[in-house]
Amino acid sequence: MKRLPRSCTLLIVGWLLIAAAGLSGCSLGLTTNAAPFIDLQERTPLPVAAPAEVAHLRMGVAAILSPQGTMTSYSALAEYLSRKLGRPVDLVQRRTYAEFNELVERGEVELAFICTNSYVVGAEKFGMELLLAPEIGGESVYYSQLIVPANSPAQSMADLRGKVFAFTDPMSFTGHIYPTYLVQQLGETPETFFRRTFYTYSHDRAIEAVANGVADGAAVDSLVLDYALQRKPGMSERLRIVHKSEAFGIPPVVVPPTLPPRQKAQLRELLLTMHEEVEGRIVLHDLGVDRFIEIDDAAYDGVRRLVQATGIR
Amino acid sequence: MSASNASTTGVPAITSFPSRRLNLWAEKIWRVAGAVNVRTKILGMVLALTTMLGLAVTWQVRAVMTSVFADELENRGVSVAGDLASRSIDPILLNDTYALHQLLRETVLNHPDALYAFVLDPRGEVLAHTFGDEGFPVALLNPDGIEMSYNMHGAIRHWVYNSNEGLVHEMIAPIMDGKAGVVRLGLTEKRLQAIIDVVTGQMLLTTLAVAMAGIVAAMILTWLLTRPILDLVKTTQAVGRGDLQARAPHWAEDEIGTLANAFNQMVAELEASQRAIAEKEQARHMLLKKLITAQEEERKRIARELHDGVGQVLTSLMVGIRTLQRSDVAQQEERIDELCMIAGETLEQVRTLSRELRPSLLDDLGLAAALERHASEFARAYPGVQIDLHCALSGRLPTPTETALYRIVQEAMTNAARHGKATVISVLIGQRNDSVQAIVEDNGAGFDVDAVRRRQSSVGIFGMSERAELLGGTLDIESSADGTTVYAEIPL
Repeated sequence: MKRLPRSCTLLIVGWLLIAAAGLSGCSLGLTTNAAPFIDLQERTPLPVAAPAEVAHLRMGVAAILSPQGTMTSYSALAEYLSRKLGRPVDLVQRRTYAEFNELVERGEVELAFICTNSYVVGAEKFGMELLLAPEIGGESVYYSQLIVPANSPAQSMADLRGKVFAFTDPMSFTGHIYPTYLVQQLGETPETFFRRTFYTYSHDRAIEAVANGVADGAAVDSLVLDYALQRKPGMSERLRIVHKSEAFGIPPVVVPPTLPPRQKAQLRELLLTMHEEVEGRIVLHDLGVDRFIEIDDAAYDGVRRLVQATGIR
Repeated sequence: MSASNASTTGVPAITSFPSRRLNLWAEKIWRVAGAVNVRTKILGMVLALTTMLGLAVTWQVRAVMTSVFADELENRGVSVAGDLASRSIDPILLNDTYALHQLLRETVLNHPDALYAFVLDPRGEVLAHTFGDEGFPVALLNPDGIEMSYNMHGAIRHWVYNSNEGLVHEMIAPIMDGKAGVVRLGLTEKRLQAIIDVVTGQMLLTTLAVAMAGIVAAMILTWLLTRPILDLVKTTQAVGRGDLQARAPHWAEDEIGTLANAFNQMVAELEASQRAIAEKEQARHMLLKKLITAQEEERKRIARELHDGVGQVLTSLMVGIRTLQRSDVAQQEERIDELCMIAGETLEQVRTLSRELRPSLLDDLGLAAALERHASEFARAYPGVQIDLHCALSGRLPTPTETALYRIVQEAMTNAARHGKATVISVLIGQRNDSVQAIVEDNGAGFDVDAVRRRQSSVGIFGMSERAELLGGTLDIESSADGTTVYAEIPL
C-alpha cells in the first residue's frame, strides 16, 4: 500500500488524541464527590476492653422468649435495676434452658428469670434458690396451652396424630413436658404419635411457627401466649387454643446458691417494692406483670409431679 | 477587514464571521484543510464521524452503566446490611460470637462486592469482624468524613470513602434499632468498575474496528471519486500537449460525469475551431499566392496595355508628328486632326485603365455613386443582364468600409454574371443599427457554397469573406438552383 501522506498521519494522530482525552474523562469512579481517605491496610490489634470499674450485675433471662423478644421485654427492667443499684446491669441470654441452668449453677448470673422445670431441675441438682415470683391478675399461676392454626380442624391433642408438632425447649415444662404428658395419656410417645417434631427454643417462635403453618400444633406458656395475642396485631385470627392445662406455679425469679445473702436481700427488696413507685410500675406493665411476690417452693409440686409422670429429665 | 486579509494572503475567504479571531481561525483551518488532498479529506471525515460517534456512545454507555451500577451497589448493600443486621440479633443477644463471626464471614464470602463486615456493640466495641488475624483497621472505628456526607435508606446509613482498595461504599445498619449495636458492611466498586472497563474496552475496540472499516470504505470511496477526476486531469494534460483527439472517459452520471461531458464538448469545439483556423490559414496562404499571381497578371496586363495600346499609339503619334514636319500645310491640317483623334483615343484608354485600377468616384463621391457608375459599366459589359441597384445610405461611410463593400458587390455581380449566367441581379445597400448591409441577389444557376469553400479554389469568395471579416463583419452566401444571395454586414 502507498504510504499515507504526512497530513493524513497527522489527522489520524489527532483523532487518537481526542479519543484518549475522551477516555481519560471517563475513568472516574462510580461516585464522584471527594471522599475522605481511610487506610484499610493499617491494622492494629483491637484494644482490649478495659476492666469495668464497677462490677456489673448480670441478669439472666432464660429463652422463654426469643432473644429479641427477651431483649425488648427485659431491657427496661435491666435499666430500672441499673438505676436503682447504681451499677450497670447486663442482660444475659442463652439459646437453651440447659445452657442457662449451667450459667446459674456456675454463678455467672446473679439474678435469673427461668422456666418452672428449670427451677425444679436446678433446685434438685445444685440448690437453686427461689427469690420471688411474678403475680398477674392476683395469681401466681400459669398454664400450658395447646394451639393450632386457625384453619386447623383439630379439637384436641388426639386430633394432632401424624402431624408436625413444635416443642419449645427440651427442658420447657409447658412447651415440652406437658404436651408429652398429653400424648402419653393417649398411650403413645411423641416419636410415634407425631409425624415429626422440632424445637423452636422459645415460646414466641413456637407461636409464630403455628401461626405461619410451619407446625400443626404447639404447646406454649400461657403468659407468653397472652402477651403475644395482646401485642401482636392479627395474631388471634391466625391461631386457635384447643386445650388449656390445669394451673401450675408461675415461672419464678431465682438466684444461684452462691449469691451473698446481702445481695440477695437487696435484690428481693428492690423487686418486691417495684410496684410501689410509678417508674417501677411502668416497667412491670411492660413485662405484663402486676408485681413480684414471695413464693413457696411447694407451688412447684404440681410441676414436679408431672415431670416425674412423664419421666423426662 | 477579513476580506482584505484573505486576499493579501492569497487564500480565498470561505466564511465571514463577525469576529476577527474567528475569521483567522477559519482561515487557518481552511489553509490546513485546503492543503490536503481529497483522499485525506474523505478519510478525515470518515474517521472523525466514526470516532466521534464511537466515543460519544461509549461515553454515554459508560455514564449510564456507572450510574446504574452505583444505584445497584447501593441498593444491594442496603439489603445485605439490613439482612445482616436482622440475622445478627440472635448471635449478639445469645453472646454467640462464633456464630456472629461465621455470619459475617459467609456474608462477605457470598457477596462478590463485599469487602468487609463488622459488628459493634452499643458501647462501640468490635464484637466480630472479617479482617482476619492481622488486626483491625482502627481508622474505620471513628472515620472523619462520615458525619459530612451520608444518605439514609430507612434506618441504614450509606456513605462513601476512599481507601487503598478504591472507593468503598459502607452501609451502617443498626441492630434492633441500635440497642444490640450496629453492623457495618463495606462494598467495593472494583468488580463493577472492572465490568465497566471491560465494556468500555469492547466498545472502543468496536469503534476502532468500525474506524478501520471506515478507512477501507473511505479508500474505495476516494478511488471512486478521484479516478474520474484524475482521468480528467490526464485528458486535460493531453489536450494541453496538443492532442485534441483526447477525450475524458465518462464514468457516471454524476457531477463529475457532467464535468467530463462538458470538458469533452469543449475539446471537441476546440478541435473544430482549430480545424477551421487551419483551413482558413491554408486559404489565406493560397489567396496570398493567388494575389501575388494576380498582381503579376495585372502588371502584365497593364504592361501589355501600355505597350500594345498607349505605347503603339504614342509611337504612331511620334511617327505622325515626324511626318508632319516633312508634309505640306494642306496635309498638315488633315494630319493634325488625325493625330488629335489618336491622342484622344489614347487618353480614353488611359482613363479606362486608371478607372479599372481604382474608381476615383469612390473616393470623390462615395459608395452610392461608385456603384451607380459600376452598374452602368457592368450593363455595357454584360448587355443581357438587368441590374436593380438600391442604395439607401444617409451619408459617407468610412473609406475602408466603402472599399470593402464596393469590392464585395463588384465580385458578387461578376460571379453572378460570369458563373451563374444570371439575367437579373438585384443589389441592395442599407444601413441599420450601427451596421451597414449589402445584399446581392441573382437568379443564376447557383452553386454548392460549402464545396467551393472547402476546395478553397475560389479566391473571389474567400476574398469577399476576408474583406468583411477584416472589418469585424460577416459574409454569408446562400445558393440554390434558383439563384444565389450574398449577405454582407459590416459594423460601423
